[in-house]
Amino acid sequence: MEKVFEIYIKTTPERLWQAITDGEMRAKYNFGMGATSDWKPGSRYEASAPGAGLLVEGENLEVDPPRRLVQSMVALWSDDVKNEGTSRVAWEIEPVGSSCRLTVTHDQLREDANDELYGGWPMILSGLKTLLETGELLDTPGSLRYSDQAA
Amino acid sequence: MVTYDHGMDAVFKALADSTRRSLLDELFERDGQTLSELEQRLSMTRFGVMKHLKVLEEAGLVTTKRRGREKLHFLNPVPIRLVHDRWVSKYAEPWAAALSGLKKTIEEDN
Repeated sequence: MEKVFEIYIKTTPERLWQAITDGEMRAKYNFGMGATSDWKPGSRYEASAPGAGLLVEGENLEVDPPRRLVQSMVALWSDDVKNEGTSRVAWEIEPVGSSCRLTVTHDQLREDANDELYGGWPMILSGLKTLLETGELLDTPGSLRYSDQAA
Repeated sequence: MVTYDHGMDAVFKALADSTRRSLLDELFERDGQTLSELEQRLSMTRFGVMKHLKVLEEAGLVTTKRRGREKLHFLNPVPIRLVHDRWVSKYAEPWAAALSGLKKTIEEDN
């Protein structure tokens, strides 16, 4: 199964790339989960949150800053999602005028995959847009569920 | 100020039509369909489906990918999330929280 998520954000490709790959920035819109990696093709990445431990892990399959990042993804936040195995996430950044179109394609999902795997993308992308355009955090209920503030 | 490049007006307009909402529901059930598949499932004319898909694409609610000779249509729920974060969470959720709190208090009293 394949899911596609698209958003326009008024920013530069470089700032957008930084927001995706900087652990501290990532935690501000990704349910409080920071991502750490050396962002080299073939290397690992991990996403975790204080108090919640390791929540996602995978491999960087393609790294082409500031345009394209493809990663394998193994969700670890519950036994149900662990059973879903490995899927793939591609981040693609395309400049459009003074904005960027960001497309997140989540594929290699099992047919009828647990929607927890991909259901969070709209909230993550909305939070990313808010952070880059206003510098503020999205405080919709649930959006920072793994962060210290929410704990 | 958060910008909405596709425009919130386009999103509301696209959603204000039951045929277009059923197209979104159809893609929610089975994502990545071709025009021909959608035409068959909704028993609509090709022209009708194309016209509605165009409005949904312009609002950013449907996004397309080329796969070989086929063009696949995907539901993009992100603009609906933006509407939620901009409007629903502002107006509805404090009330929803207050009402569920009230419900709990009343039920505990009984």
